[in-house]
Amino acid sequence: MTAKANILIVDDEVQIAEMISASLLAHGYTVSVAYDGEQGVAKVGAEKFDLAITDIQMPGMDGITALGEMKKLDPEIEVIIATGHGTMGTAIQSMRKGAFDYLHKPFEIKELLKVVERALEKRKFNDIAKAIFSTIRPEEQLRVIIDSVARILKAEESLLVLPDRENRPYIAVSEGLDDDAHKNSRLALCARIISQLDGAGSKSVILVEDPGKDKKFSDIPGIDRVKFSLFLPLMENNKPAGLININRLEDEAYFSEDDMQRARIFGSLVTLALRNSSLYRQLQETQSQLIQAEKMSALGQLAGGLAHEINNPLSGILGLTQLVLENTDAASQNYTDLKDIEKAVFRCKKIIVSLLSFARQEKTRMEPVSINEAIEETLTLCARQMELKHIRITRRLAPELPMVSADFQQLMQVFLNLFTNARDAMAEGGELTIETSRLKSPAGKEMVMTAITDTGSGINQEILSRIFDPFFTTKEVGKGTGLGLSVCLGLINKHNGAIKAQSQAGKGSTFTISLPV
Amino acid sequence: MEKKILIVDDEDLVRNYVRRALSTRGWAVSERPDGAAALALLEKETFDAVICDLKMPDMRGEEVIKRIRAGYPATKLIVITGSVSNITSPLVPGVEVDGFLIKPFGIDEIRELTEKIFKA
Repeated sequence: MTAKANILIVDDEVQIAEMISASLLAHGYTVSVAYDGEQGVAKVGAEKFDLAITDIQMPGMDGITALGEMKKLDPEIEVIIATGHGTMGTAIQSMRKGAFDYLHKPFEIKELLKVVERALEKRKFNDIAKAIFSTIRPEEQLRVIIDSVARILKAEESLLVLPDRENRPYIAVSEGLDDDAHKNSRLALCARIISQLDGAGSKSVILVEDPGKDKKFSDIPGIDRVKFSLFLPLMENNKPAGLININRLEDEAYFSEDDMQRARIFGSLVTLALRNSSLYRQLQETQSQLIQAEKMSALGQLAGGLAHEINNPLSGILGLTQLVLENTDAASQNYTDLKDIEKAVFRCKKIIVSLLSFARQEKTRMEPVSINEAIEETLTLCARQMELKHIRITRRLAPELPMVSADFQQLMQVFLNLFTNARDAMAEGGELTIETSRLKSPAGKEMVMTAITDTGSGINQEILSRIFDPFFTTKEVGKGTGLGLSVCLGLINKHNGAIKAQSQAGKGSTFTISLPV
Repeated sequence: MEKKILIVDDEDLVRNYVRRALSTRGWAVSERPDGAAALALLEKETFDAVICDLKMPDMRGEEVIKRIRAGYPATKLIVITGSVSNITSPLVPGVEVDGFLIKPFGIDEIRELTEKIFKA
């Protein structure tokens, strides 16, 4: 334990207090002394102690009351009761009030020191738990975890292995691994341990001595340097969700029973922490989806109301312009100008119609749909245009895809919008690649993925996050309302799917849609 | 006797151009800015057709239309509206209208529709 632990001794018998104090000082602890309960409580109020050792029988405030008061002032303080006048009753009382342990005088200093060590270790675990749980950012959290593991279990190497999207193990964070060869070696070891885990008898800790001599692992390069290996499986729903591996490289550096116990506590802590941060991440995503949905709905209502209001004056402009046209010489400039006004009004009408279709609550008719079929039908609408613009269409459609529950027309609407955007991005021609595949989401759900890639001008990173916003458009005035992608997002959301965009300016873009089966 | 038409709409621009567009065809056009005024006029004079906006502030357009259809079954009814979404459902539940137009509509559109319903 670190020498800096701060301990308070509370005892009215001066000799006892001095004796305990001397022993603790000799072991590197910082010590303070109080001679009665009140003084002890006052000191806890004034200074941060890791631990207090207190007698029960004292003039004024007794030890058990003092224990209660100390815990009120500092809930994290650990208190050890050391008394010569104890009974079963006082023992139970102390434990109930939150004492860490109860020692009966006379006791050997050795005994007290052991209890002190255990109490301080408990504090260390609490501090680590706090650090882990208060760190929500995943990268930081993993770093805190692996540092704590290395410290508590005193090992040269420590690594945390997690499954990636395709369920293959990778090293999320490590300590003491110098280069890629080193990392690959330990990753291979962990991968083999993971494959041995089965859901049913979930072992909490696995210990392997001299893995280099075990034929299950002896072929892994560099494994002979490891003398003792400890593995903590992190279980989620009875399935291995990851593994912490701790390796000691020195001979005789056995993992004790205490070490194993610490490792077990650690394993559960880490599992909880990872689940916590994943839940938090999910919560954030759900929140932002909800906010987006509300924004869309509010915008939809606004758009609907706006459209309606505009139609009246627009009507007026159209009608009056046409009346004037009737009385204007067809050869005159006035006539030409008025005709332009008339055309402008029709353009406005188109914008409003698309605005209203965005605002309208479309009645969705869900049925089993083949994504490949929806893609092919949409292509028949625009393939000819693509050809004319020198755009080559490459299809990579997975055969035997499961059907998704969807509204066929709406899917076509989404695909058409994306194909049109791709076409517009490739003004000088290019290649449009459409790929479909099936996969499992991180939560284990079956999904069908559609990726639409163009070789066009690409989208800048700064605007990439805004492209799904309503009315956001990079097209010139008159050439697009900016509603297409936001409508797509709305439709895909209605299908409980997701749509994402990736792009590199100058290289092209890929839009990925995933829909649940 | 020329046909008499009543245009009911809260937007004066719309009443303006519709009245003028139809007058050039020789029909006699009156105008009222709201449902209550329209119904009051209908009690005093007979009209061959009423062109009525679906959405008006004072009395909901639907209400006015229902009353006109109920009170004056011989009068033709054209409904005009700015809301595109309304055309998918029955325009006014329970009421048969003789025609409808979506704003913005041009002068020829309203002329031709009126012509058509008078021939029917």
